[in-house]
Amino acid sequence: MQHIGKTYDTITGETVEALRDVSFDLKEEEVLGIVGPSGCGKSTLLRLMTGLEPPTNGQIQRGEKTGRFLVGFVFQDSSLARWRTVYENIRLPLEVLGRKDEGSVKKVIDLVGLSGFEKAYPSELSGGMQRRVAIARALVHQPTVLLMDEPFSGVDEITKEVLQQDLNYLIRTLAATAVFVTHDIDEAVYLSDQVLVMSNRPGTIIKTVTVNLPKVRDQSIRTQPEFVSSCAIIREKLQLLRPTTATRQSNEEKPDT
Amino acid sequence: MRGYARKIRDQIPVLGTLVIVVIVWQVTTQYGIVPQYLLPSPTNIISTYFKSRVDWASQTLVTLREILVGFALGTALGIGLAFLVAESKIVNKVLMPYIVMTQVLPLVAIAPIIYITFGFNDTSRIILVILISFFPVVIGTETGLIDVDKNLVYLMQTLGAGEFKIFYKIRLPNSLPHMFDGLRISMTGATIGAIVAEFVSSNAGLGYLITTSLTTYEIATSFVAVFILAALGLVLYGAVTLASRVLMPWFKGR
Repeated sequence: MQHIGKTYDTITGETVEALRDVSFDLKEEEVLGIVGPSGCGKSTLLRLMTGLEPPTNGQIQRGEKTGRFLVGFVFQDSSLARWRTVYENIRLPLEVLGRKDEGSVKKVIDLVGLSGFEKAYPSELSGGMQRRVAIARALVHQPTVLLMDEPFSGVDEITKEVLQQDLNYLIRTLAATAVFVTHDIDEAVYLSDQVLVMSNRPGTIIKTVTVNLPKVRDQSIRTQPEFVSSCAIIREKLQLLRPTTATRQSNEEKPDT
Repeated sequence: MRGYARKIRDQIPVLGTLVIVVIVWQVTTQYGIVPQYLLPSPTNIISTYFKSRVDWASQTLVTLREILVGFALGTALGIGLAFLVAESKIVNKVLMPYIVMTQVLPLVAIAPIIYITFGFNDTSRIILVILISFFPVVIGTETGLIDVDKNLVYLMQTLGAGEFKIFYKIRLPNSLPHMFDGLRISMTGATIGAIVAEFVSSNAGLGYLITTSLTTYEIATSFVAVFILAALGLVLYGAVTLASRVLMPWFKGR
């Protein structure tokens, strides 16, 4: 992504500049986390990566790779088809792409830990399980990139940590390339190789944090120095964006990369 | 308590009330507290059913045919219009006023116009049933088509799905619950519509029987027709509900 900018018009007729001069590279098998305050354009940035809408400024370049560019998208609220069973929901991308590959569906159901629930309907599942279905659906067709928009927002802390660990294992097992957006700083550091910290609107990158931890992680990683310091760096950068009385001295900080 | 036994036990208040009503009715009419030329007694009604020269089965079939054909065509029309109206805002603005106009005019006022235009025949009666039954289907289906999860549509687009695939896999199944809401109302409307059409002009059917037997003061006959009609309405409504359960096994609503 090079010098990406995005401006759009809202329903009320206002012009919103969501992103300004965002640049970064995403390597294969890399997991990229994006954190930032609400409204900073994180979701817009994520959606630009699907290729459905072009940026207003800047370019997106994709490396040479054989095969079609496909994304797998996980939404903030799962967005499952309530008239389809777990199995049918996960199979949906394959249907659209015209692939008949029942094996993939079974494999990915096992990987997310939902074996035995194939015939259940979304309304019969807990929130955490619905998230797993959404993730499975995003991976079944072996996409080039996995994109996740706050995949665990609203999930309770305990379930969330389990889901994060499972997701990390899943991504590494499949050697997937992934980008996700989150409000949760710990989550960003836990899952990512690199974390982009974004500013308020118009969103731009104020810091890139490299997380020097092994690729496959378990819960013990959360107490390691590298983990804690990465979180601290991010927190510090984000603190300066919040107008609180405690940080009265400098509310304006020039973006540095 | 086992399932069936409990279902029967739950029905006792309903049935009990019904039995009491029938008994009171029988007593008041049999002993002349309420005259039989106003309200025939239940035994009178039952014996009229068996003794009358009327072929109840074939008369019922006449009305049933009007209801079912009108309902089927009205549903098809309603779904078709809903697609058009949901697709394009312009079409919506242009068509909706006319659609609404057909509903605010009372059927008894429209009926003579239809009969004069299309003839005093079954076709006209079916047209009248269509008129009353298509509207709830339009509203229900349109609501269902609009009320779609935008994320699901987005997901389909990222996979390169064309509009038809999106419609078939997402919009259509999504609209079923709302569509069935419309269908249930439409079915009861169709039943009323058939009777009203027969009231205005007909030579057979339950509505015909009701009006003619009233003019000849055969009150009991008209009551039999009314009861058959009520039973018919219940069965038809139940059929729609059953169809909704079959076509939407995932729906916990009804």
